[in-house]
Amino acid sequence: MKVSLSWLKMHIELADLNVDKMRDLLTFAGIEVEGVEVRGIDSDKIVVAQILESKQHPNADRLSVCQVDDGSGTPRQIVCGAKNYKVGDKIPLALPGATLPGGIVIKEGKLRDVQSNGMMCSGRELGLTDDSAGLLILDAGAPVGKLFRDLQPPDVIFDLEITPNRPDLLSHFGLARELAALTGKKLNAPAELNTAAEKTATPKEIRLEAADGCPLYTARIIRGVTVAPSPEWLQVRLQSIGLRPINNIVDITNFVLHETGHPLHAFDLAKLDGAIIVRHAADSESITTLDGIVRTLDSSDLVIADSSKALAIAGVMGGSDSGVIEGTKDILLESAYFIPAGIRRTARRLGLSSDSSYRFERGVDPQNARKASALAVKLILEIAGGQADTEQLVAGEAPQLTHDVILDEDRALKLLGIPDLSREEMERVLSSLGLQKSGDAWSIPSYRMDLQRSIDLVEEVSRVIGLDRVPGRTSGAFTSSQNPDRAYDFAMSLRHALVNRGWFEAQTLRLVSVAQLHDVLGPPVSADKTVTVKNPLSEDHTTLRPGIVPGLIATAALNIRQGQARLRFFEIGRVFLTNPNGTSREEERIALLLSGPSQPISWHEKDSAPADVYDLRGTLEALTGSSLDLAPKPLDGWLLSAEVKRGSKTLGWIAQLHPARAREIDSRNPVYVAELSLSALQQGTQGAAKFTELPRFPGMTRDVALEVPADLPNAKIGEFFGGQQKKEPMLTGAEVFDVFADPTGQKLASDKKSMAWRLTYRSPERTLESKEVDEAHARILKVLLGTLPAVIR
Amino acid sequence: MLTELEQIQTGGLAELSGITDETGLENFRVAYLGKKGRLTALAAGMRNVSSDQKAAVGAKLNEVRNALGNGIDEKLELLQSAKDAEAAKGIDLTLPGRPAASGALHPLTRLRDRAVQALRRMGFALADGPEIETEWHCFDALNTPADHPARNEKDTFYLPDGRLLRTHTSTVQVRTMETAKSLPIRIIAPGAAYRRDEIDATHLSVFNQLEGLYVDRDVSLADLKGTLEFFFQEIFGSGTQVRFRPHFFPFTEPSFEIDIKLEAKGQEAKWIEIAGCGMVDPAVFEAISKTRGDKVFDPAEVTGFAFGLGLDRLAMILHGITDIRHLIENDVRFLAQF
Repeated sequence: MKVSLSWLKMHIELADLNVDKMRDLLTFAGIEVEGVEVRGIDSDKIVVAQILESKQHPNADRLSVCQVDDGSGTPRQIVCGAKNYKVGDKIPLALPGATLPGGIVIKEGKLRDVQSNGMMCSGRELGLTDDSAGLLILDAGAPVGKLFRDLQPPDVIFDLEITPNRPDLLSHFGLARELAALTGKKLNAPAELNTAAEKTATPKEIRLEAADGCPLYTARIIRGVTVAPSPEWLQVRLQSIGLRPINNIVDITNFVLHETGHPLHAFDLAKLDGAIIVRHAADSESITTLDGIVRTLDSSDLVIADSSKALAIAGVMGGSDSGVIEGTKDILLESAYFIPAGIRRTARRLGLSSDSSYRFERGVDPQNARKASALAVKLILEIAGGQADTEQLVAGEAPQLTHDVILDEDRALKLLGIPDLSREEMERVLSSLGLQKSGDAWSIPSYRMDLQRSIDLVEEVSRVIGLDRVPGRTSGAFTSSQNPDRAYDFAMSLRHALVNRGWFEAQTLRLVSVAQLHDVLGPPVSADKTVTVKNPLSEDHTTLRPGIVPGLIATAALNIRQGQARLRFFEIGRVFLTNPNGTSREEERIALLLSGPSQPISWHEKDSAPADVYDLRGTLEALTGSSLDLAPKPLDGWLLSAEVKRGSKTLGWIAQLHPARAREIDSRNPVYVAELSLSALQQGTQGAAKFTELPRFPGMTRDVALEVPADLPNAKIGEFFGGQQKKEPMLTGAEVFDVFADPTGQKLASDKKSMAWRLTYRSPERTLESKEVDEAHARILKVLLGTLPAVIR
Repeated sequence: MLTELEQIQTGGLAELSGITDETGLENFRVAYLGKKGRLTALAAGMRNVSSDQKAAVGAKLNEVRNALGNGIDEKLELLQSAKDAEAAKGIDLTLPGRPAASGALHPLTRLRDRAVQALRRMGFALADGPEIETEWHCFDALNTPADHPARNEKDTFYLPDGRLLRTHTSTVQVRTMETAKSLPIRIIAPGAAYRRDEIDATHLSVFNQLEGLYVDRDVSLADLKGTLEFFFQEIFGSGTQVRFRPHFFPFTEPSFEIDIKLEAKGQEAKWIEIAGCGMVDPAVFEAISKTRGDKVFDPAEVTGFAFGLGLDRLAMILHGITDIRHLIENDVRFLAQF
């Protein structure tokens, strides 16, 4: 909301507060200052001048040469391009040496060969109005030669954010009232108003058919007004807060809105067909609003209508056909109270927010309706003339929205935590805000609808006193760690482990597109098996991700575009899954993506081989601190894929992106991904590790190279040796240490491969002898040859 | 014999001076001082030396042995230091190092962890809740009016079944109090929240918050102020100025926004809005008590404070990041800077 400092000063003396102090005062009252703008000009070289003569410029069709009286006694010659003046008008004149907003310095000089000794200014050139169409024509009474800044002192415009609980601050008077309470300054009494006698409206005058949305409707009729442009003071007031002057009647209603906070509306009485009817709109009833747009209404909307048509959308915007325009003679001035929820619903549904709806939906003071009307009537009679009916037509009744509140002082003092705060001081604060204590209870002014409970009064005390007097207490309770703590620590340990191994942590958006579902690692996910948003912002973000890998593939694509070949990304975060019964669940996952050279490229490592699936598996095993089993399972769309298992527990998937998809993201290297459940990973990592006694006697190793069919999985051989460990207690370990294949078939048949294993023999009781190890080794190999399709090389 | 010893000494030393490598030196040592070396062989002849000459020959023998031994040691040292000097040749210390694996945490993770660690030192435990929420947990229980703008479909993502994506992590306050067995509650909840904002340089539709809640029988504004001042000074340095501006949130009263005074590079220190906080509104305790059906959170008995901060914005301020989209694009050139 824009607020004019000079407007505020009509109600309260603020001369001793500079802009910074005002800003602090407002800020610590809970009113955020979003901007401060100086409007107008503070110059001793801009004076009021009168145009004495105007002649056509000899060399330029669009220019004229004027003689003006600047108060010095000698006419001054000015070349001017504007057309909107007549001889005798008074205008602001910038003398040579004057600096205009924007830094333009006025100099004497020739314009198309004619001397010009200054510049006559438009409102825009002075930073006053947005109107650059012509000169700013001043009141005829403005004294020639007077400094313009004395005529129109520069104003400061504050852009304020008023919190939704304080609609009483949405006006200059309301804000001045608050500032008076906070500073102890005197609030100037509002001008004396003649509130008209009330007359209960007859059904021929006002029919209030929708009291649920409009408890109070009043109207005052003024006849014989002259609609014309507003006087300058009124135009300046409205322009200072960014409003465009329209005509005197409309301007006055706008002025009163920003002065009192109560929205009004003026109808052209001649366009009304019978009584004013306040009713719900008919479904698909339409109305053209003042902005020229046809609005289609429904029965939840409230309209002000006559017997044949809707005239206005109640509290939101008037219709284009019933408004006050040039030539309007008689007007009906509406001042009403509309229920906030209804106005909010209508304004939101129509996407139509006005200064009026903004206030009604936050809540205006119903008791203020008559005063606002009286102020408008007074101004209309002064400015536009005419005769007002002696009575104000009233339908319904202003609801009482405040009630007495009892402050629980003991609890208040405890909550506020200010040691030297007394009950008396709390009472002083509340009294300064216009509350009155009677007995135990505080009576609340009608404009403070936000004060309904004891805690609301506590807030007022805290707001006015501030937190400076609260001594910070730095103590608190002990708390035991919970599952989220353990999960957090586990996830952080994984992050550190990966980062230390050269991986980068990514964070990708949880909302993905349907197209990205193809990149989900695991069995295919169809769109109807995902959690989708009803009102997405775009096609790209419709679906809560059922996996992290799609985000990592997008990350890889972006980095490849930026010229990165070596990709090591991981992300830890939440995925969203659907259960067979249609419900959803959320799960924490870790996903990894690996591609490109296995070593960073540098001067001593010019082209290292691309990383492969064994690199990724190795990383997973290092992360989990245990060996994992990969159970190959083909997945559509992936070149290689396997379930990742630890024992019988499935942790997730590992796979190689299909080369076709890798080409789509311009990857020249194979891309490997894995995605594991964090909670499954975390299981088995808890509890203290148990120590195993170190072997006291040396072990012996024996190597064996096996020639096996090329498609025999290594795990089969591992399983065999694992089984042998039970039968041959001396065998304590077996590991593969070399794999060799020759696709050309020269050194080894191309359908074979050679697997070299190293077996370790050891006894916990003694040092073994070569002979017994050789015998055990021979026994094992004999069984092997009878079990596996292998030949010893 | 003395003559022979003399010859061995002179000849040996002469030969020694011509040796240029360690193998030659070892061969020399074997040839003279080894088991079958010339000096050793000669020494074996000592028993044939007449007793009057024994002392003289013995002395000479020692002299020759020492001379050759020392000569060998000196030569060895010479050869080794020459080789050592050779070893450093060709090493250009100005060449870049061989890259060691180095990745990076996402800047949001770093910041979040810093905040979490600080708050844990202050006795807060972590809490969690779902991101898909009911309207009750996200709004009703948090004293948000039925027609509050935040509930609008323009601002909040809804699912077809009427649930929504939480618009703030304050839902975890409700989740925690719903199930808590007893007081005190002292939790923090970092997590994602969603708002229906078009993605641009300053907005993301999914963003990261950190929520905190302390509820007990005697929690006051003094606790709120002391805790949050301490916290922000832990994060931004002990001299950091923190101020509390009155504000409005539906679920706290009184409510404040917190500013800290930060110096941006080359600019005057400015107050930067950083978090929201306040005393838990009794209406929230009422809603919790109603759903629990007990008196653990009796609004007449318990008080508490809550706070929440946006981590994305904080990371941007802290690191001078100009476009929030960097945080979700994961360009390695960006990530490697933190």
